[in-house]
Amino acid sequence: MPRRTVVFITVLAVLTAGAWYVLRSGDEGAPIRRRLQQFVDDVNRGATDSRSPETRAAHFGSYFTDDVEIDLGRGATLIKGRDTLVAMTGRLQPRIAAFSIRFEDIAVTVASGGQSADVHLTAEFVNRKAPGERSLDAREFTIDMRREGEEWRMRRVAAVETLK
Amino acid sequence: MSLIRRLVFGTNPRRTVVRVLVLAAISFVIFRFVLIPIRTEGSSMLPTYGPDQLRLVNLFAYRWSVPARGDIVAIEMAGPHVLYVKRVIGLPGERVSVMEGAVRINGNPLAEPYVKHRNAWDVPEVTLGPAEYFVIGDNRGMSVADHDFGRVDLPRILGKVVF
Repeated sequence: MPRRTVVFITVLAVLTAGAWYVLRSGDEGAPIRRRLQQFVDDVNRGATDSRSPETRAAHFGSYFTDDVEIDLGRGATLIKGRDTLVAMTGRLQPRIAAFSIRFEDIAVTVASGGQSADVHLTAEFVNRKAPGERSLDAREFTIDMRREGEEWRMRRVAAVETLK
Repeated sequence: MSLIRRLVFGTNPRRTVVRVLVLAAISFVIFRFVLIPIRTEGSSMLPTYGPDQLRLVNLFAYRWSVPARGDIVAIEMAGPHVLYVKRVIGLPGERVSVMEGAVRINGNPLAEPYVKHRNAWDVPEVTLGPAEYFVIGDNRGMSVADHDFGRVDLPRILGKVVF
């Protein structure tokens, strides 16, 4: 291979790696994205693991603050408090297990001080049993996240009316 | 040069590689920034579009013009990876309602030859704002509660579904 080509490829590789490092290290939202992905993985694991329902419910609750509010939009009752949410999730477990969720287009804005963040995303609900994992529905959400110790937790989840 | 190698790379491999790279670059630009491919889901646009169909959205359709009545448009949710596909029926400033399944614009019935199934939907009249469009699916045979439709702001309209 000609020397010029080797130099060109080397410079390109170094620049790409440098750009990747700078972009990654400057992404304040990365821990929040990871946290949301953990939440998705946990929800999608559903009732298939060996944990007891109580352990699973308690773990599910750890993604939310004590005073969490869930507003699913027009016609839905506002869900207030982690205990209420965990109890509801336990009751709905068989139905929840029938589908999985995916988060797409996650935009994170961390507030100055790094203790809270606004997240905007689309949640896609997928029927696990349909061939090709067919999408059931998709909804846009805003999530207000708070940092409690080392953990990011959801403080308020609100559905956005894309079509009003 | 073996026959297979000649068929794959041509008589001038260097030129073939350049052609492949140029073609790949052009395809990347077109399908990333001009015509984005989407896969349709759901039944709200039946019979015009069914589920699991590949369509293209022209991102430049509304750069120098605005959506027209009857256009099928792609609407952004939180970003460009999950979209609504709906038909524009109401334009800015218009009054839109649905009575017994028939769409009315400023009180006059709208001819909709693309609607093949129609239930007796009733939607109260709304007046669209200066940058609002009223969008709805073609499948009016489904329950109104299961069908997402309504007003959408122009910046959310990503482009026009063209194929």
